[in-house]
Amino acid sequence: MKGLILKDLLNLKGTFKTLGVMLLLFAVVFIPAGNNFVFGIIIFMFAMMVITTISYDDLARWDSYALTMPVTRKEIVLSKYLVLGILNITGAILSLCVGFIGTMVMGRSFSMEILAIIGVVFLIAIVFGSVMLPLIYKFGAEKARLMLILCALIPTGFLLLLEQLQIPIPTDANPWLYLLILVAFTLAGLILSYGLSLKIYEKKEF
Amino acid sequence: MNNALEIRNLNKSYGDFQLKDVSFSVPKGSIVGFIGENGAGKTTTLKAILNLIHRDSGTVEIMGMDTVAEDKKIKENIGVVLDGCNFHDNLKTADISKMMGSIYKNWNPVMYKRYLAKFKLPDNKIIKSFSTGMKMKLQIGVALSHEPQFLILDEATSGLDPIVREEILDVFMDFIQDEEHSILISSHITSDLDKIADYIVLIHQGEILLDDDKESLINGMGSLKCGTEDFNKLDKDEYIRYRNNAFGYEVLVKDKGKMQKKYPEVIVDGVSIEEIMLFYIKGVK
Repeated sequence: MKGLILKDLLNLKGTFKTLGVMLLLFAVVFIPAGNNFVFGIIIFMFAMMVITTISYDDLARWDSYALTMPVTRKEIVLSKYLVLGILNITGAILSLCVGFIGTMVMGRSFSMEILAIIGVVFLIAIVFGSVMLPLIYKFGAEKARLMLILCALIPTGFLLLLEQLQIPIPTDANPWLYLLILVAFTLAGLILSYGLSLKIYEKKEF
Repeated sequence: MNNALEIRNLNKSYGDFQLKDVSFSVPKGSIVGFIGENGAGKTTTLKAILNLIHRDSGTVEIMGMDTVAEDKKIKENIGVVLDGCNFHDNLKTADISKMMGSIYKNWNPVMYKRYLAKFKLPDNKIIKSFSTGMKMKLQIGVALSHEPQFLILDEATSGLDPIVREEILDVFMDFIQDEEHSILISSHITSDLDKIADYIVLIHQGEILLDDDKESLINGMGSLKCGTEDFNKLDKDEYIRYRNNAFGYEVLVKDKGKMQKKYPEVIVDGVSIEEIMLFYIKGVK
């Protein structure tokens, strides 16, 4: 399994470099403007690289080859979730670094707001990955990419609907409660997603 | 436990294609050539052996172990080359060694380096820049570098030029010098198998038509050429398949010596694996 994770990280080596340059560019453009948008972008760009690794695998027809090695289907699926986790955490740490350096350079103080944004985006990125991985295993990376856009539209549509129906969105409750709910929701989604991916992958024929 | 591989009554059905009761074995220390036209079921059989597809029924044993129950243990000890290159374009040969080192317990980086040198593969270039032959040599080098007992090769020599093929066939011959090692190689380039195979297994439309050792096939079988009149004199159990064309009949016979004696006036030639395959697939029973 270590080998599978290593394989993905080795494959992303080139992407990491490109991403680093982009990151620098974003930071220079957005941070002076006081825009916290950049933190979300960093985490998401990293999290989405798990899709890139699967596209690479498809191109090389890697999975059928990997299964001729002493590697189980379970390990292949689990390794993708771990890669998602590693990428997400890397993205979050980088975001924090950019946040610290950015505020220091600009002479502002590091606000709780940045921390909150990073935390929430981190969780959302995991939810996003949890939705993506079973879809990719079921339909392939190409089709899943289209579905990804739909996935993003659904919650947006849902919020718009709430607004249209004038259902009030609660605002004044304890923010920690929201965080707790979000964390619980993310974890439950992650476990469900892993189970689903495994089930799809076990049945797969190569 | 004298067989490296033993398949019994393997069945797998797709909508328009099925493997029907496929059974054959690979004796230890031998090379078995698995032949058949494109789409005959060679790759499907290999995939079923490797659990890449789920079989409907039948058992497969490798080195005496059931492939479903002992999947991981078996896969530590076999080397596989599938049709095409399965390494990602942007990797270098050293990256592959790192990966494989944490996948196989007995990965041997020194042996891997030796194969890279033997095959003259550069270690500072990405796989993308490799030629087809180089990629295939890399796959074979990787398959051999965790010291496997048994090699499964799917079309490992197709698409290569004669020089590279020769080199690779030599590597295979070296591999089985150790009496414990064996190879199952599927191919439609039968001339390669003429050179290295000990046994020939022929599959056609998902069924095994022929399973015999190569020497007795080549030495025994013959192609008898005759006209309609002579053909009609032949007994049905004297031949295996026949084909007829404008010039007369070509008949595949089991025992060319006996036939030549019995019908001294007709010509009985020797046959190659390719001719035998053509008779079985194109000929009439």
